[in-house]
Amino acid sequence: MKRATEGRVLISPWVTVLTVTCWLLVAALGSAQEAKPTQQKPQTVTFARDIAPIVFRSCSSCHHAGEAGPFPLVTYGDVKSHARQIADVTRKRLMPPWLPSTDGPKFAEDAHLSGHDIAILEKWVDAGMPEGNPAEAPPAPKFASGWQLGQPDLVLRAQTPFTIPASGSDVYWNFIFRSPVNLSRFVKAIEIHPGDKRLVHHANLLVDRTQSARRQEKSPGSGFAGMELQIESESFDPDGHFLFWKPGSPPIVEPPGFALRLDPENDLVLNAHLQPSGKPESVEPAIGIYFTDEAATRFPVLLQIENDRALDIRAGESNFIVTDEFTLPESVQLLALYPHAHYLCREMRATARFPDGTEKTLIHIPRWDLNWQAVFRLAKPEPLPRGTTVVMNYRYDNSSGNIANPNNPPQRVTAGNRAVDEMAHLWLQVLPDVQPAGQRDPRMVLQEALARHHIENNPADFEAHYNLAAMLEARGASEESVQQYQAALALRPGDATVENALGAALLSSGQIPEAVKHLYAATVARPGYFDAHYNLGIALANAREFARAAQEFTEAARLKPEDSGAEANLGAALAELGENQKAIAHFRRALQLDPQNKLARENLDALQQTP
Amino acid sequence: MFRANQLGRSRRGIFCAAVFSLLLFVASEACPHASLPASTLAEDLDGKPVDAFALSHGRVVVLLFVRTDCPISNRYAPRLQKLSEKYRGKADFWLVYPDREQTALQIRAHLEDFHYSIPALRDTRHALVRRAEAMITPEAAVFDSSGRLLYHGRIDNWYEDVGRSRARATTHELEDAISAALLGQTVTPDHAAAVGCYISDLK
Repeated sequence: MKRATEGRVLISPWVTVLTVTCWLLVAALGSAQEAKPTQQKPQTVTFARDIAPIVFRSCSSCHHAGEAGPFPLVTYGDVKSHARQIADVTRKRLMPPWLPSTDGPKFAEDAHLSGHDIAILEKWVDAGMPEGNPAEAPPAPKFASGWQLGQPDLVLRAQTPFTIPASGSDVYWNFIFRSPVNLSRFVKAIEIHPGDKRLVHHANLLVDRTQSARRQEKSPGSGFAGMELQIESESFDPDGHFLFWKPGSPPIVEPPGFALRLDPENDLVLNAHLQPSGKPESVEPAIGIYFTDEAATRFPVLLQIENDRALDIRAGESNFIVTDEFTLPESVQLLALYPHAHYLCREMRATARFPDGTEKTLIHIPRWDLNWQAVFRLAKPEPLPRGTTVVMNYRYDNSSGNIANPNNPPQRVTAGNRAVDEMAHLWLQVLPDVQPAGQRDPRMVLQEALARHHIENNPADFEAHYNLAAMLEARGASEESVQQYQAALALRPGDATVENALGAALLSSGQIPEAVKHLYAATVARPGYFDAHYNLGIALANAREFARAAQEFTEAARLKPEDSGAEANLGAALAELGENQKAIAHFRRALQLDPQNKLARENLDALQQTP
Repeated sequence: MFRANQLGRSRRGIFCAAVFSLLLFVASEACPHASLPASTLAEDLDGKPVDAFALSHGRVVVLLFVRTDCPISNRYAPRLQKLSEKYRGKADFWLVYPDREQTALQIRAHLEDFHYSIPALRDTRHALVRRAEAMITPEAAVFDSSGRLLYHGRIDNWYEDVGRSRARATTHELEDAISAALLGQTVTPDHAAAVGCYISDLK
């Protein structure tokens, strides 16, 4: 009699890939609007003719009711009553907030104000802020209230609002939106309403495919603190989208084919940077989701170049440089960049060194400011042919001369997730060129090369070992995969996720006793870990320890009563133990859950034919 | 009456005429009523005229210039409140709202929102603005027991510029000035530029 506990059918290990902080957002290929400098006029500078066009274009999108700007700048009266302030902050280039210099490519939301515009603003203030002829002013911009993209197909609200204390340092809080969909859907846009926009500096939305962030909540729905997020995502499914909110940025609709997939088990996690206002404030974010019937056909990928290991900045060091170089193994189009560092960073630059030896600046931020970090989408995709080296260069100032220094007096600073630690990350959103059929997925090629690069930079890079292992496993390189998981485990002994993944890899390569050992360790390290119980059940069944296997499948089925695989395997183990009636019940239950469950069907048929 | 230039502060005076010749920028903005005699009358939230100096009976006077809609001014609320509690009975603290457009009703709501228990004045004629040589919200001014301006300017160095702040202030000019005033000492320097919203934009 055929038993499902033998053979390939059972082996469906649940594997996870770790990624540290993914930032997702929509890649738009639209072209940027070039801000045209206002024509110089010999006459007196007036609001209507000269100032209104600058303000409406560069200020009003944040400075209107309900937006992040603390006061509106929409009418003559509004602008006049902040005129000196406007001249001052534009002259110092504090406003509009825009970090990149003009030496890189053009970005889609370029908010850079020209020197000419700044001079005009100053002139107008000096002239006593005349209004001029209102008929000459362009029409005041109109802003839709509520959802900018119209009523969403699905609106999610934070389960528990977060209260920001009246004073103290900035706060980083994570809100989990639990399994928003009950069947797999494609998403063309996500509009983030972060709560009171005056309080939110920026927010990143991450797709958590394995509900891994929930483990960080004290109680379900409470949310949790933390500047950086580590989430686990399911076996190699790189989420090539940035979902980012900053003040004034319009929500973006994905171009055709670029949809994001959401599955029933996925959570969305909003990582928000919040600033105390002087009184206790409640922040209650909401998210609007817009579905599309059009499946994803274009798959961008996020590449994280980093060299955190090089971050060891002694107190007082004012010019500390961190660099990294990564050579692309595939030709790609660069769609967007997300530079990320904390408070000590002063300046960053990324350059492309092309195979012909020429170089091009991809982004240059001469005065880094964490508060205005953003995803910078290119106005036009930049082709980076195979063999192009992306070079990142970050400069840090850990002296007391850096007012953003969180430590006073300065302290030695190394890499880490807290605001007082540092980071040297550059995320690239790239779209790999279309490959001829039969070639390896270029995303895998890119990520594998990147993981190897990270390990070269830092042999103690846990995520890199783990991710490399998962990718190797996915392409059938079992032996090296096991080695890489072992390297990851050595860096985090007893880690439940790694124990499970290593166990599953050992199981795939037939090393059953070793697999049992690690899978058992995973169940001990994290009680209630479905994947580990399920995989341990399979390993035990392979070792012909059916009684123990049945226990593990029972536990798996208890943890996830809707899982037909657990039920089918439980049935198979019971059948091996001669408990045919019980086995039949479980096969039937599996088939109720999933009528396509081949394992349950075949075993049930076999059992029912047995006298 | 005290004249600023008697303390060797020749570049600044409380009379607009003097200011006018030296600091055109201040004169044109902060002294729209240059012909009126200098006064320290402001009004309380019931519209009654109040002279904070006359009421001080020789105590140190601290004026705190704030606005309801200035984010930096608002972020200072907890520390201003705390400071006023620390020196209660020793120095008279007043919140001064220089924006003519902000009504008593709005100000009452603001006090409640930000948990202020410091008494508030509306300085619609900018009499206190001139007396304190205030240019920014938030900005503080400390007067000694005889009503002499000892210090005016920033509260501390939390903000270096709009949108650029330290995690924590490392110098505490206002509190230093209050301590000095209580000991009858002078304050050097007697001014440090504040960061926030320009009072001169208020018309």
